[in-house]
Amino acid sequence: MLSVLQKTIRPVQAARRVHQSAVQVLKHPAPEDTVTASFGRFVSEIQPQHLSPVVLQRSKRMVLDSIGVGLIGSTTDVFELALQHCQHMYAPDYISSVYGRRDVRLSPTLAAFVNGVATHSMDFDDTWHPATHPSGAVLPAVLALSDMMPASRKPSGLDFLLAFNVGIEIQGRLMRFSNEARNIPKRFHPPTVVGPMGSAAACARLLSLDPSQCSHALAIAASLAGAPMANAATQSKPLHIGNASRLGLEAALLASRGLEASPLVLDAVAGVAGFNAFYEDYVPQPLDSPHDGHAFLLEEQDMGFKRFPAHLGMHWVADAAASVHKLLVGAGPGKVSPHQVQDILLRVPLSKYINRPFPESEHEARHSFQFNACSALLDGEVTVKSFTPAAMSRPELHALLSRVRLEHPHDNPANFNLMYGEVQVTLVGGDTVNGRCDTFYGHWRNPLTDQSLRKKFRNNAEVVLPSAKVERLIEAVDDLDRLEDCKDLLSQLQ
Amino acid sequence: GITDSFGAAIHALGPSQLTDGVIHRSKRMMLDTLGVGLLGTRTAVFNKAVKYSQTFRSEQRSSVWGRSDLTLPPCYAAFVNGIAVHSMDFDDTWHPATHPSGAVLPALLALAEQLPSRPSGLDLLLAFNVGIEVQGRLLRFSREAYNIPEFHPPSVVGVMGSAAASAKLLGLSPSQCSHALAIAASSAGAPLANAATQTKPLHIGNAARRGLEAARLAQAGLEGNPAVLDVDSGLGVYYKDYSPSAMPDCASGAFRWILEDQDVAFKRIPAHLAMHWLVDAALAASAELQETVWSFDPSQIRRVTLRVPPSKYIDVPLPTTEHQARHSFQFNACSALLDNKVTVASFDPAQINRPALRELLSKVEVTTPADNRPSFDDMYCEVQVETAQGGSCTARCDTFYGHWRKPLSQQDLVEKFCANASSVLSSEGVEGVID
Repeated sequence: MLSVLQKTIRPVQAARRVHQSAVQVLKHPAPEDTVTASFGRFVSEIQPQHLSPVVLQRSKRMVLDSIGVGLIGSTTDVFELALQHCQHMYAPDYISSVYGRRDVRLSPTLAAFVNGVATHSMDFDDTWHPATHPSGAVLPAVLALSDMMPASRKPSGLDFLLAFNVGIEIQGRLMRFSNEARNIPKRFHPPTVVGPMGSAAACARLLSLDPSQCSHALAIAASLAGAPMANAATQSKPLHIGNASRLGLEAALLASRGLEASPLVLDAVAGVAGFNAFYEDYVPQPLDSPHDGHAFLLEEQDMGFKRFPAHLGMHWVADAAASVHKLLVGAGPGKVSPHQVQDILLRVPLSKYINRPFPESEHEARHSFQFNACSALLDGEVTVKSFTPAAMSRPELHALLSRVRLEHPHDNPANFNLMYGEVQVTLVGGDTVNGRCDTFYGHWRNPLTDQSLRKKFRNNAEVVLPSAKVERLIEAVDDLDRLEDCKDLLSQLQ
Repeated sequence: GITDSFGAAIHALGPSQLTDGVIHRSKRMMLDTLGVGLLGTRTAVFNKAVKYSQTFRSEQRSSVWGRSDLTLPPCYAAFVNGIAVHSMDFDDTWHPATHPSGAVLPALLALAEQLPSRPSGLDLLLAFNVGIEVQGRLLRFSREAYNIPEFHPPSVVGVMGSAAASAKLLGLSPSQCSHALAIAASSAGAPLANAATQTKPLHIGNAARRGLEAARLAQAGLEGNPAVLDVDSGLGVYYKDYSPSAMPDCASGAFRWILEDQDVAFKRIPAHLAMHWLVDAALAASAELQETVWSFDPSQIRRVTLRVPPSKYIDVPLPTTEHQARHSFQFNACSALLDNKVTVASFDPAQINRPALRELLSKVEVTTPADNRPSFDDMYCEVQVETAQGGSCTARCDTFYGHWRKPLSQQDLVEKFCANASSVLSSEGVEGVID
């Protein structure tokens, strides 16, 4: 074990020796005027004092939520498959811990992989605008890398949080290079495009790589980016986030060993496709040097957190259907019976990917307007348990599903900032009951309270960890920017 | 559907479908790939990849080519050996363009070492050809594959070929073979910008590694989209036009290996394929000048005009790195004119930075005639050399020696292998591989 650690110590030590601004000025020539170089500089030079109180608070909420969904995700079949694959193909490595599995450790990139798979396995992780799932691509890699660092030189909580925020920021900046990022993705699953870049940036930061190495980390990651949408809503989808996390870390580690790649990967060079290969329209913008202060995107655009494990679009119809359920059931407890219902009309944005009248798998159910509306109509809410085989096969649910039709009003675009969900139930007697949701609770316009977020975290984490550990995790994340040593966080995850 | 047909074919193709022509051609590909891979184990990028890969522990270990002291987890053996193969841009090239063997052979050899019983040579040859065939079929799904791509082709079809070949060697069911392809599709696609950099070899290394991984995941039961080749949102995302078609039933007479009709090109120079036309033309021009001009000396050159197909990616007037030099029309023309040959040694940093070469580079002009299309099937290169004394000489190459229209003789192919392999292996080792 020691010799493995020794092998991994070297690049970190080398990088830390360089991390002195005077030495940097002497060693490196004046920076080039490219977008790629500006990103490399930013990643290398951003400092903790650039994190505003709002960004600190919002990112800590993201860290907490991400850990929680990762912990509950460690109970899924796809996680088990990924973990066994890693354990079968590779030996245990005593370095980086695996969510919720006591004493199971893997090599850093493999731990990042399985923890990323866990995070996205139930589609329960955070969603941003423009759309991607940013935290699952970054946090597992930052945790795995922190585990890799020697015990006496673990990053402080603030360093950890800074690296995390760098990973989020880079993803946000890259998505703003294209208008296409604001629409329903047709080609590439967004977490696979920007996720590896965010992970590479976060890890390059934590490794204290110099600006040139940071640029190369991003460029190496670009060759590992991009997976087709066809695999979303299949069992492979969680691997998109797992791989984003793993491959970004790998890119940073390779860059730290001196591997070089295109110095123009983010710039739009005619005739030689770089990162723009993933987008039809692409207008890159340089990042300003952080010396005069920097406003993180998270300051102006908060994160959406999910209340149940399904595609974000489901939350609108679920909230709308839940309000109809309440109206039908009245003040007391009661059930909605399919016999009462003649017709269910959903007014939702047009999106093939989440239009599934009769989902057959759990993955499909998480991506079905129809399923989520009917579950909420029947039960008053959608929860983790709504996607169990037993819940999914209920006859009363199927009866409702067969009565659903969809409409796609022109004023309802497939955009998480603008869409709404309407549920109109026509009862057997002819009466109609309507529900509409413009902004679900958990959306960035209507954020979960800290109390609600912690409740979600406890519900998730307590599935695999004892409650004492769960509470310590909540405390550690809350105190993260004040922790001198992030091991207080690292040691509670399994 | 189409994906099903591929899964079925990968599963069902058997040794009886291998023809003499395909066996002969694919054995040449394997030999050449091993040779360039062995030579490539001396490169800096290979060494960086090995050091990184050594941080992984595993019980299963596979060999690293040319390094008797070293084994790695199978996926990482495939990774580093694949990198070695492509590290000097010396590996085979096909039409439509990709480097097919480097994505497949390293994965198969790494996997073969792990199987409970050693596969026969025929099993290996069959799996190899499955991996090549799948790549060829996929490249024909888009007209775009015939042009300059956005995504480096080995990163698109290479990982699919590796997954198919690995699935074949593992004996996966038709459904598992389909899922291996689906899982691999999520690992495909690296942008062209990293070609002509030190990262390019990783495109092949990662194709080999991640294709093998996809097959292993499919074996473990992971599923992807069973229509990944059929839908536009699957493999189609890597192309602007995408028109897939099914694999014919291999039991019927309709199946024919693409390799039967379309051979690969083997390189004589560790550089982008287009450089081969250029070098042959430059050498011809230089030879003519030496015959016609009394005591001709390269210092007498006033101007060099290159007439080449348009491709920004290989138009590099002043390359500074070895990777850039391998992708520079200008550099390869000047090397040929100065030295009367272009070899492995021509790309050493010392050679790249020679004052005489830098000076000659400044006299080079590149033009792209309208009739010169950037396709390895149609292109030509012309070199016109004008001397200070007013002389001029033009030579043209339509088909370089090594192209599929003018294949390397067996003797020359073996000679290339020996020259490459002997830098790493003892002579018994070299002979042993050829046998």
